[in-house]
Amino acid sequence: MNNTIRTNFSSPSIGRILSKPITSSSSSSSCCSSLTTPRIKFRRRYHSYQHPAPGSPFTKAESAILSASLLHVPSHGFSNAALSFGARDANYLDISVNMLPRGVFDLVHYHLATERLRLGDKIDFRKPENELPEGLRNLSIPAKIRVLCMERLRANAPIIHRWQEAFAVMSLAGNISASMSELAKLSDEIWFLAGDESHDTTWYTRRATLSAVYATTELFMTQDNSKDFEATWAFLDRRLHDVKTIGSSVSNVTSYLDFTVHAFANVLRSKNVPFF
Amino acid sequence: MTTRRLSPLLAHLRCQQRSQFSYTSPSTLHARRLVSTGAANISETRSYPKSRPLTEKEREFLQNAIRVNQAGELGANLIYEGQYAIFKRDPRLKSLIRHMWDQEVHHLETFNKLVAKHRIRPTALRPLWNVAGYALGVGTALLGEKAAMACTEAVETEIGGHYNDQLRTLLDMLKDDKDLLQHGELKELIDTIREFRDDELEHLDTAVEHDSKGAEGYDVLFNVIRGGCKAAIWLSQRV
Repeated sequence: MNNTIRTNFSSPSIGRILSKPITSSSSSSSCCSSLTTPRIKFRRRYHSYQHPAPGSPFTKAESAILSASLLHVPSHGFSNAALSFGARDANYLDISVNMLPRGVFDLVHYHLATERLRLGDKIDFRKPENELPEGLRNLSIPAKIRVLCMERLRANAPIIHRWQEAFAVMSLAGNISASMSELAKLSDEIWFLAGDESHDTTWYTRRATLSAVYATTELFMTQDNSKDFEATWAFLDRRLHDVKTIGSSVSNVTSYLDFTVHAFANVLRSKNVPFF
Repeated sequence: MTTRRLSPLLAHLRCQQRSQFSYTSPSTLHARRLVSTGAANISETRSYPKSRPLTEKEREFLQNAIRVNQAGELGANLIYEGQYAIFKRDPRLKSLIRHMWDQEVHHLETFNKLVAKHRIRPTALRPLWNVAGYALGVGTALLGEKAAMACTEAVETEIGGHYNDQLRTLLDMLKDDKDLLQHGELKELIDTIREFRDDELEHLDTAVEHDSKGAEGYDVLFNVIRGGCKAAIWLSQRV
């Protein structure tokens, strides 16, 4: 019995399977932990300026495989083939793709999460004006939002011809909640980087409208054949304009109601009604 | 406003506070009130040396604490606004309520800034607090001066205790990091909460001085409002 196991171990094929994860001991331990710990733990929390932010939601091994797989997406799409090629490029066995429990969706999620976190490194409007690039100074908040949306959408450009496959994966029942939460985090990130300081119900309305605008524009972009995505930027501008129009008509109605109520109170006051 | 009588209830709260935070002697408390605290500078982002990462649980606590404090100050503002709308004809009460309201405005502004700065989701029940807070203010003021003061007493007792709980948790969180207790983001938060707690307890003093306990049906009013505050705190920590 012992003997057979030993011979099995020493046989080249199985030895190769076992040697891969064991040689890189740090990654092997982290891929084991990835199976037991909850997958999405990157919820929005107290953002500290003094204490370092929690690390990436992906383990080392996952990041290595997924980032290598993304390079194969333009040719192989968001598919298991891209994952297998990526695993091979990262010096893992094809089989190690199995440690990604959600398979292709993990690849999509990796793209979304890393591009979201990268956005702040590219453009951050919270910096002092003189540290910003030449063309990005003294912009209004809507203009900042537009720039940030464009920057994020440009990150989809290399894989845009495959992005519809990602939409298909994201819309599967089990993946919808994670996709929506990623969209919500992105729009929160964009508002934060634009320097928004809302702290009331507008916090919700702003994020909801931006999520809608971003998602529709992203969908439009997958169909866009124009040079440098000019049609997409025009589409984005129209959507942002729509939001502005809705916003101003809502505030017009509110100020009308406010005026009416005050006028009514003044009438009562002139009649010496108590408490007015 | 400068002479502060200790009501029995207040004495109880203060005792509690003294035993919890032995290094906060009453004299330093008073000294701190004379100089302006860090609350005014909260919006500036000062750079501190990076320190240990906060655990998931600590982040969760901080997020919930700041959200509930913002919601609470919003509610307090609206209560005073409602009372002011009724009492503004009475010159004596007008200035009294105005003074307390002004302090609450400052508290609310501070927590608004903190919510934006630390990327905290504000409470989703804001429309509810808007209505409930104002209605509570107007309602108790219509019941009379003493009922309004009983309302203030109930609310400020609850908020004072709530701030004390938060301070206890925060100090417990930092008990092993002496550096973080001396300077840093969390030290500023502790100072802010401590200052606001003292303001709230001063309002409590004021309410008791104005014979809140003489209100019609004081026990019922006091306990119902306190229960309402507890429920509101519970909800705002979550939603």
